[in-house]
Amino acid sequence: MKIQSVKDLEKITREYSTSLYYPDSIKVNIGMASCGIAAGAEAAFKTAAEAFAADRAIQVSQTGCIGYCEMEPLVEILTNGRPRVMYKNITPDKILDAVDDYQNGLSKKKWILGQMRDPRSILEAEIDNPMGKVEPFEAIPFLEDIPFYKGQVKIALRNCGYIDPDCIEEYIAKKGYRALLQMLEHSEPGKILETIKASGLRGRGGGGFPTGIKWATCAKHDGDRYIICNADEGDPGAYMDRSILEGDPHSVLEGMLIAGYAIGSRQGYIYVRNEYPLAVKRLVTAIKQAEACGLLGDNIAGTDYSFNIKISTGAGAFVCGESTALMASLEGNVGRPRAKYVHTVEKGFREGPTNLNNVETYANVPAIVLQGAEWYAGMGTDHSKGTKVFSLVGKIKNTGLVEVPMGISLKEIAFTIGGGIPKKKRFKAIQTGGPSGGCIPERFMDLPVDYQKLAEVGSIMGSGGMIAMDQDTCMVDVARYFMDFLKEESCGQCNPCREGIKQVLDILTDICAGNGKEGDIELLEELGSMIQKFSLCGLGTSAPNPVLTTILYFRDEYEAHIRDKKCPAGVCKALFHYEIDAEACNGCHVCARKCPQDAISGDKKKPHTLDQELCIKCSICYDACKFNAIAIC
Amino acid sequence: MITFKLNGKTVQGEEGQYILQVAEKYGVDIPTMCHHKALEPAGMCRLCTVELFDGRRSRFVTACNYPIWEGMEITTDSEAVHQGRKLIVELLLARCPDVPMLKKLAKEYGIEKPRFKTEGDDCILCGLCVRMCERMGNSAISLTGRGVEMKVDTPYHLQSDVCMACGACASVCPTGHITLEKINEIITRHKDVQPIPSEYDMGLNGRKPVYVPYAQAVPNTPAIDRDVCVHFKTGGCKVCTEFCGVDAIDHTMEDEIVELEVGSIILAPGFEPFDPSKFDSYNYANHPNVITSMEMERILSASGPTGGHLVRPSDHKEPKKIAWFQCVGSRDLNRCDNSYCSSVCCMYAIKESVIAKEHAGDDLECTIFYMDMRTHGKDFERFYNNAQEKGVRFVRSRVHTIDPVAGSDDLSVRYVTESGELQNETFDQVVLSIGLQTNPETVALAKKLDIELTEGNFCKTETFEPVETSQKGIYVCGAFQGPKDIPQSVIDASAAAGSAGAVLSAARNTRTLTPEVVPETNVFGERPRIGVFVCRCGINIAGVVDVPAVRDYAATLPYVEYFSDNLYSCAQDTQETMTQIIKQKNLNRVVVAACTPKTHEPLFQETLINAGLNKYLFEMCNIRNQDSWVHKNNPDMATEKAKDLVRMAVSKVALMQPLEEAELQVNQTAMIIGGGIAGMSAASTLAQHGYETHIVEKSDALGGQALNLFRTISGDDVQEKLSHLIADVDQNENIHVHLSTELKNVEGFVGSFKATLAADGKETELEHGVAVVATGASALKPREYHYGDDPRILTSLELDRKFMDKDPALKELKSAVFIQCVGSREPERPYCSKVCCTHSIDNALELKKTNPEMSVYILYRDIRTYGEREYIYREAREKGIIFVRYAVDNKPVLDLDNGEIKITVTDHVLGRPLEIATDLVTLASAVVPNKDEALANFFKVSLNDDGFFVEKHAKLGPSEFATDGVFLCGLAHYPKPIDESVVQGRAAASRAVTLLARETIHTSGTIAETVPMNCSSCAVCVSICPYSAPAFIEEGPFTGKAKINPVLCKGCGLCVASCRSGAIKLKGFDNDQIFAQIFAMNEAV
Repeated sequence: MKIQSVKDLEKITREYSTSLYYPDSIKVNIGMASCGIAAGAEAAFKTAAEAFAADRAIQVSQTGCIGYCEMEPLVEILTNGRPRVMYKNITPDKILDAVDDYQNGLSKKKWILGQMRDPRSILEAEIDNPMGKVEPFEAIPFLEDIPFYKGQVKIALRNCGYIDPDCIEEYIAKKGYRALLQMLEHSEPGKILETIKASGLRGRGGGGFPTGIKWATCAKHDGDRYIICNADEGDPGAYMDRSILEGDPHSVLEGMLIAGYAIGSRQGYIYVRNEYPLAVKRLVTAIKQAEACGLLGDNIAGTDYSFNIKISTGAGAFVCGESTALMASLEGNVGRPRAKYVHTVEKGFREGPTNLNNVETYANVPAIVLQGAEWYAGMGTDHSKGTKVFSLVGKIKNTGLVEVPMGISLKEIAFTIGGGIPKKKRFKAIQTGGPSGGCIPERFMDLPVDYQKLAEVGSIMGSGGMIAMDQDTCMVDVARYFMDFLKEESCGQCNPCREGIKQVLDILTDICAGNGKEGDIELLEELGSMIQKFSLCGLGTSAPNPVLTTILYFRDEYEAHIRDKKCPAGVCKALFHYEIDAEACNGCHVCARKCPQDAISGDKKKPHTLDQELCIKCSICYDACKFNAIAIC
Repeated sequence: MITFKLNGKTVQGEEGQYILQVAEKYGVDIPTMCHHKALEPAGMCRLCTVELFDGRRSRFVTACNYPIWEGMEITTDSEAVHQGRKLIVELLLARCPDVPMLKKLAKEYGIEKPRFKTEGDDCILCGLCVRMCERMGNSAISLTGRGVEMKVDTPYHLQSDVCMACGACASVCPTGHITLEKINEIITRHKDVQPIPSEYDMGLNGRKPVYVPYAQAVPNTPAIDRDVCVHFKTGGCKVCTEFCGVDAIDHTMEDEIVELEVGSIILAPGFEPFDPSKFDSYNYANHPNVITSMEMERILSASGPTGGHLVRPSDHKEPKKIAWFQCVGSRDLNRCDNSYCSSVCCMYAIKESVIAKEHAGDDLECTIFYMDMRTHGKDFERFYNNAQEKGVRFVRSRVHTIDPVAGSDDLSVRYVTESGELQNETFDQVVLSIGLQTNPETVALAKKLDIELTEGNFCKTETFEPVETSQKGIYVCGAFQGPKDIPQSVIDASAAAGSAGAVLSAARNTRTLTPEVVPETNVFGERPRIGVFVCRCGINIAGVVDVPAVRDYAATLPYVEYFSDNLYSCAQDTQETMTQIIKQKNLNRVVVAACTPKTHEPLFQETLINAGLNKYLFEMCNIRNQDSWVHKNNPDMATEKAKDLVRMAVSKVALMQPLEEAELQVNQTAMIIGGGIAGMSAASTLAQHGYETHIVEKSDALGGQALNLFRTISGDDVQEKLSHLIADVDQNENIHVHLSTELKNVEGFVGSFKATLAADGKETELEHGVAVVATGASALKPREYHYGDDPRILTSLELDRKFMDKDPALKELKSAVFIQCVGSREPERPYCSKVCCTHSIDNALELKKTNPEMSVYILYRDIRTYGEREYIYREAREKGIIFVRYAVDNKPVLDLDNGEIKITVTDHVLGRPLEIATDLVTLASAVVPNKDEALANFFKVSLNDDGFFVEKHAKLGPSEFATDGVFLCGLAHYPKPIDESVVQGRAAASRAVTLLARETIHTSGTIAETVPMNCSSCAVCVSICPYSAPAFIEEGPFTGKAKINPVLCKGCGLCVASCRSGAIKLKGFDNDQIFAQIFAMNEAV
């Protein structure tokens, strides 16, 4: 069916809002993003689908990730007139019981994450809340009230977990492609540029460049203009973009279509990691569907506007997330950055003016066009508007994706939404911005999250990775870890980055091995400062951040390593040993049982002893002891 | 134009330029390791990082690829920049601790040892090679791998057919990681890759595809060798265009066919050296230490592959023993077809051996293996004798085989001595004295032109028409006419030009364009307004000297009104700009700090003339040859020296005054002294060119020595030809013959000589513009071998007379003996008379022809039948003429015993005395010059020890004197056969025409001038001047004081230095000017 107008979209919206909000049957939405699948969602889906194949009263369908990855597989069950309930950790063996439980009175309270107060997205304010007239279940919390979701505002992730990503109609039903068609019907490209500019949206890929200015500059330069979506999300532990591509691919396509129209481009590319096969698959499906609907391709919705999107998969080089390297790779050359003294908006891909944004940026665009620049700019801080998706990982209770308004404090993200540090450990630092971000210590936890503020404390927003670290994290080792990653991922063409990182890593490795010497810290600072200033691309200029911020905030840990030959966190094996605190040990023998080396001995209920000769510092005893009787010395 | 700030100074650059390019223009040094002018900048090494202030904040950008924009502010050497660069160098030094270029850089940054763990790499991953390979159109290599794994490699680490082994990568590799040897070894194992052999260095050196064939090439501009240039193979490269500052390179140029309408053609295609590769037994092709004489020339040359250092090719060892083998490819019908003598090899072999000894020291053993030592040229015999005295060993033996000595690079030579003993001797090196032969292409050309060739493939000419080919209007000169040396080739060339020009004399000056004369500005009394132009000479000067600093320094000097620097000051467009600037800025003095005035002063003087300035208001200082070239390693001091030189030049030029050049009329008349073959040839050439010519002949007939000659070896009847020549001269209305006339006096100078002729007791005056000395020589009257005691003992000329008279007695002779070198090659007369060997053999053959039964002996020392004269030597031996060699210390003894002539000579083969009874003895007596000292005095020319006239230059001026307007030819120069006399006569005439063709002559303005008031009339100047320029004033207020004839003065300064009264000054080099320079120099101390 070719869609020609907003009216056509409204027709679909009407058709599909029933299945979305008022299904006659029981609808079982299984979170089928990579995180869910990894936790067993695919098997659960298969089990349910087979079980209810003949049962017309039960409909099994897939959605994307709703963010709370810790709780995957998440299964939402709903039916017209009853509350929507989100079950957590629904492994294949639990799926049928969960459906049964929903049908028969919700006795398995522990399986339930919560019930939904309002399933509408932020774009659907004008329709009635489908849950408005439904009586909620008692004694079951509302999802919106649990700490993980309470502070979140979902714009980029607005549809993730709410729709079937392989179903364009569901996207349309949730106001999808409305922005595109309204724009084609009513707006000049210049007006769109103004809107995006006024919204204050900044690139979510890491650089934070004002998107509207980028678009306008690109539109100003003559030549074959290109729109590229950077989906080469390479930071370890960060998967915001993957989640959007897997959960709501059309939002990205629509964002690119709007960009293409505003800038005057006919061709878009999505450069996506080959390690994201599901995202690629969903994108391929989405593109086919959009083309079938006449929303992508030639003469979109019967207008003069034509825009095509091709997918190109990257081969897993971190540096290909850098815009010029990405374009080189897209052209079929080696993915190495070049100097951006002539900006890519002037001469980028195939020498044409090229606009490159990342997935999250494009996903925000339809919402902004639909709701208006003022609405978007109303959120966030002076310099950073709107919301940002963070990937919350590390030593934190609630891992997952969160989308919060800019300006929210780190503390709120880590402690309220994230739930703080597990096992009563002490919080030490939070690392933002991926491998080339910085480590922010506790004293800055009240810092409002925006581009400027993070830069002021030596870190970066990056693409939204956020790694929490507790007392057991050695900051020297953290720096070493990131340097090791960057040593592998540096493209190698410029001296400061290639040779500099190599030497930084070398020095850090020495320090961790107990071979640090006086002057190492200063040398690291000297190297770091030079690499920042002299490197060719963003990878190099930000690479020393982990080292420099850890030195800045945790210099004492470096000094302990170098001068005292001690690793206070008990990570660098050459620099600590475990001892059993005789006073704290009550002789429960758990440690002795778990020790793979049989290094711990002692009579029951009496303090145990540890044979240092045998100990391999595997930390099993340390982690096992509930009485903090194993001490790091 | 974009204006911005560079280190606080306002600078300008073109839109699209990068910071580095502009900085370079302004002389601001920014270090870089990965930048190459011909390649897209990549910003990889980051060493060129500079600080950029954009009005709001400061950041770091790489100068090589950051485009300039209006208003930006760049700091190239801030502390942060310096520290960062230093750290980069330190990091790279840790990576490549043994790379010299990094060590040097580290030293400059004060890094003694890197603080990091060192590795042993030698690649700094600058990527130059990869980008260069891409530019070559090949992309055979690339940067592979990521991060620390990155390296330069071929795809999949495999050998690649894509690689053409052009070596472009190696040429840009700054560390030596890539070398031609490695490419050979690793990449192109299956190909035999060699550098492009330099033709000039005989393949001993490589050369580039863009090259100047040799330093003195004309035109002296580089050419691109299409056969090897990468661009013509791949369409890529064109790197050279980036380096050419004046955009002179155009790869699209095609060969053009140009049609010229000409009246005569001169063939001067030269020769090719014989290739001895086919002589298996000499192992030339296989053994590096068997080399040709041409290769030896290059090894001995200061500009050669070893810089003049004598080493042998195989192992660069300094040889202790070198052998030369003569007649390789000459006088040989067994192993090649060249039966002629190549004429030049004996002399060059001796020269090489002497120079080798000069280079390597006296203990170098030089041995020359020869058959006959042919040192028949002027002063050659003396050189030969000196070589013997210096210890060069001469062994008369033709060596058959050279064997490599197993286990070493030495060579074993087996030969038979004169006494028949077999010898084995080991040498470090053997030089093959290869002969001359005509190139097959030249043979083809001759065929196309339908020109007759000789047996030896040389151009066939007649004795009396020695530069005419068999085709009318086509002339020949040089080695194509026959193997010959430089002096003879130069003489030939002048003669050919004279002959070719003679037929065109009617067309003279019909196509001449006259340049527009710019009126000279009168600068008298003006305050000096000096313009200083400092030349970069590409990188010749600017690569060492800080040219902008010198230019800016010039601005601070007194009277300097304008200063600038040029990429190439000598470029045509620069010349035009200079002319404009001189006019616009009203400059009245100009200093150019560039290269050598020897080559370029006239050019810049021309520029002054075009700008309306007197050309002497100019001073040039040489900041290239005397500065940047010799102080390469001390750029700072070189810059200081350049400043000193500029300051000195400025101080001198301020005192320069316009000078006038004397103009004199050339009397278009020639006087030839001597009416022999040479004189008559000169006269008829001059007459053909349309000039009035006078022959002054002492005797009562024209013809000279030729009157005594029977015939030439080509069979011409000399008397018949001579009579034709005399008739031609007599009948030519331009030629006036003065017989029985003596030259009493000559006065004047070039263009206006006045000769006093005496005939029949009457004296007449002859005014003429030029003179040709052709006074000839005569045959020695021997005082040995009983000459004069018996009518059967004759000189060669006397035997000729008998032939001319068809003496019937000759037929009756049973035996005839010729004794060579009678009076020649002796201590008293240490020169070879050149003509006698050929003459005697020819006469011997004539006797044999008269009576084949006659026993004919030739007693000789060396047979010197040079060139194709060798054929008659061969014929003589075939006809049974017996050649017996004698030594100068064991001459034949002639006894007159009872009316019988008995000659005893020691046979050189048997070592025994041989007695010959004969009834005719012909003494090949020496050619003796006239030693005409009076004549030498008339023209201020000199005679050598043997009594022959000394030419201007043995090689380059063989037919003229150092005295302007006086020319030389014939036997007066040196003994020579008829053809060579004819050639030199024409050559002398041809040289004279170059003067006569100009109606006026301008002399130099830098000449001496007297201040008569100060003159004490001591006459030192008069006696000391080699050019007779000073004379006493004969009338007027200063009678008796000295004055200088501006026409004769050469500006040598002898008189100035010798004048005790300080009455003479040298214009343009006046005392105050010289002292100003010296005082200016003093400021530097």
